[in-house]
Amino acid sequence: MTIESPVQVPESVESLDRPWVTIVWNDPVNLMTYVTYVFRSYFGHSREEAERLMLQVHHDGRAVVATGGREEMERHVEAMHDYGLWATVDKADA
Amino acid sequence: MIGFRLERDGTVSARFTRDEASTLRDLAGQLIVMLTDRASAGDPVDAVLAAAGIGGAETPPLDPALARLLPDAYRDDPEAASEHRRLTEHGLLQRKSDAARAVVASLSDGDGTVPVRLDPPAVQAWLRTLTDLRLAIAARLGIVEDGDPGRLEDDRDAAMHAVYQWLGAVQGMLLEVLDG
Repeated sequence: MTIESPVQVPESVESLDRPWVTIVWNDPVNLMTYVTYVFRSYFGHSREEAERLMLQVHHDGRAVVATGGREEMERHVEAMHDYGLWATVDKADA
Repeated sequence: MIGFRLERDGTVSARFTRDEASTLRDLAGQLIVMLTDRASAGDPVDAVLAAAGIGGAETPPLDPALARLLPDAYRDDPEAASEHRRLTEHGLLQRKSDAARAVVASLSDGDGTVPVRLDPPAVQAWLRTLTDLRLAIAARLGIVEDGDPGRLEDDRDAAMHAVYQWLGAVQGMLLEVLDG
């Protein structure tokens, strides 16, 4: 009896390249509890990590919330816009 | 309103006064109109694709409220922002208006208080629509940066401020229940 081993499919060839990032920007509207909730439920972060990122957005005006291939980052940004968070895609070194 | 409560079956319940329920329905209705107008603003060929949730405009909306709901995905690259918007905006508009419709559907038009019972998808719709409404109102009041008090010149502005605060309180209570 064998167990079928899971096949790892790379997200995107671009992720091997220079990575891209998803940036969430501060806004005066969204509740801190909501931003934390989004980071926990969408990215699956622990409460501590989600709160750390939320506070970084709040204090620094922005935080990198994900790094990877361009298409993946574009999907994250679209998801953030679904939640009403202000997010953009950028190159990692920008 | 009587606050949200997590039920044993995983749904979230609450009770709103008739006025609260009708305010929320009206606001969600206005949001739907705003989003659908934007979706149908493109050329006729786009309209066919739009019906399938594909495509979108190439430039950001002029209306600051819509612009905040549909931000550019690239900050310093107008070409990439425009391309991304063309491919994704209709889908975003569709999901946002679907959420607002789900909120309207969850608020019955009864006598006395209005009971609300939200399953997990409806909870998501509420969280997102409460956010979109607050974003739209904040843009109309000129609340753009932390600490902006927002325009307060007449009774209409005052009413918008009150609704804005109330929507935030409702969302805060809902999040508190989900955090359990």
